[in-house]
Amino acid sequence: MGAYVSLPTWWRSNDSRYRLVLGKCPECGAHNFPAEGVCASCNADADFEEVEPEGTGTVQAVTVISGGAPPEFDEYQTREGAFATGIVELAEGARLPGMFCDCDPSEVSRGDRVEAVVRRLYEQEGVPRYGVKFRPVE
Amino acid sequence: MNDVYVVGAGQTDYGSFPRESYRSLFKEAVDTAVDSVDAEFDRESVDEAYVGTLGVGGRQLGLPGPAVTEFAGLNGTATTRVENACAASGVALRQAVLAVRAGVADVALAGGFEVMNDVSSERTGEWLGVSGETEWERMAGTTFSGVYAQMADAHMAEHGTTREHLSRVAVKNHANGAKNPHAQLGFETTLADAMNAPAVADPLNLFDCCPTSDGASAVLVASRDAAEELTDNPIRIAGAGQSSGRVGLFQRPTLTEIPATQRAAEQAYDEADIGPEDVEFAEVHDCFSIAELLAYEDLGFCERGEGGPYVASGATEPDGERPVNLSGGLKAKGHPIGATGGGQVVEVFKQLRGEAGDRQVSGLSRGLTHNVGGSGGAVAVHVFEEGWA
Repeated sequence: MGAYVSLPTWWRSNDSRYRLVLGKCPECGAHNFPAEGVCASCNADADFEEVEPEGTGTVQAVTVISGGAPPEFDEYQTREGAFATGIVELAEGARLPGMFCDCDPSEVSRGDRVEAVVRRLYEQEGVPRYGVKFRPVE
Repeated sequence: MNDVYVVGAGQTDYGSFPRESYRSLFKEAVDTAVDSVDAEFDRESVDEAYVGTLGVGGRQLGLPGPAVTEFAGLNGTATTRVENACAASGVALRQAVLAVRAGVADVALAGGFEVMNDVSSERTGEWLGVSGETEWERMAGTTFSGVYAQMADAHMAEHGTTREHLSRVAVKNHANGAKNPHAQLGFETTLADAMNAPAVADPLNLFDCCPTSDGASAVLVASRDAAEELTDNPIRIAGAGQSSGRVGLFQRPTLTEIPATQRAAEQAYDEADIGPEDVEFAEVHDCFSIAELLAYEDLGFCERGEGGPYVASGATEPDGERPVNLSGGLKAKGHPIGATGGGQVVEVFKQLRGEAGDRQVSGLSRGLTHNVGGSGGAVAVHVFEEGWA
């Protein structure tokens, strides 16, 4: 019950999950994440050019979740305690949400530079789900 | 276009009621709304009913609308369930308004219900946050409070909003809620207690967050002809605005505004032929303290970025220039998701008719309700005025 992302839905988005593939709008040049739907910037319904970003970006907003994580992350929170999650703007300009890793959660701040790394996110129905987290770069 | 009037409005207490069902709560709200109508009211005169619920707990995922309207004696009434997360019954009200304006209904009911406290904490976890963007936002570990916390973080960085500004919202709304017999958290709090509460999703703490609630609300609207038969003290719905926005915060062009609120407000103001400066008081969607500050700005009550100083100035206190959340708001009155938008109307209805008891502010003639789904995926804004058009 509740919110649920099925395995086929997850796998359909693997290019976005693992490589953060962006959709460059041929009309206005904005980069969209994920690379689907109409352009979030200019509303054009055009075929995006797929662009694989370098994977670095800047923290735009961050929160430290001290309790009550989504159930998919119960086990993670029990093991790791409070975690930081936020919104990252990639160098290409697209924004996406992501958890921060390899750092003290309380040390992540808006404006910090981060890079994407593929990590195990959670396990459901016996299948580990992988995707991107962000870690600080000097 | 037919004018539309609120002729009755009622709600249950909000809180935790293990002995009540979603049906009994909704019936109580309808009974209370019917009792509030000045003339004798036949509930079988309701032509259309719009019922808001998210369906928390999964108790009646299909057909929750007819399941409550038939129980409440609206026999055979065309009933439509509205799901727009926390904006469900604000949107239900707009549907009722549209039905009357279109001439399809002479009398319509809008309301909603939610029961959130009778499921295990494990199941509660599965349901809270289902109105965030699921595939990406939720799967980044983001809770519902976490999304608003990110908005607060960005607002603090961009506009200098402070911890104290956030807590001022909680202190004000608790003071108001302490005067509301329907309130779930009807107690006062001090600024120090509100500022030093345990963290939930930094920078938001426990006193920045509304509770989970059981409750129901119901609003009866009517055409001019029907309203003239039912009341001599009419409350006109002068404007009804609604807009949508991207469901995920990361998908929007700004982290510190809710564009759907701005669009819904513009529509409601245009219909009412007023501007934000003409709004005398408002019930706004303060699911989290930062949300009330965003509402001030997006509704045009203050300049962009000035929400914090605006609450600190006392402008939105009961004796200020524009009282906000005289009911206690979601923060203190409670937030039974599907009932919240209708519950806001109950407060405006009572204030405009001078029936708000200890929290009555005198001389009010125009109020506004603002109801947000998720973190801004759906917004309904309504303007209410005393008197016939």
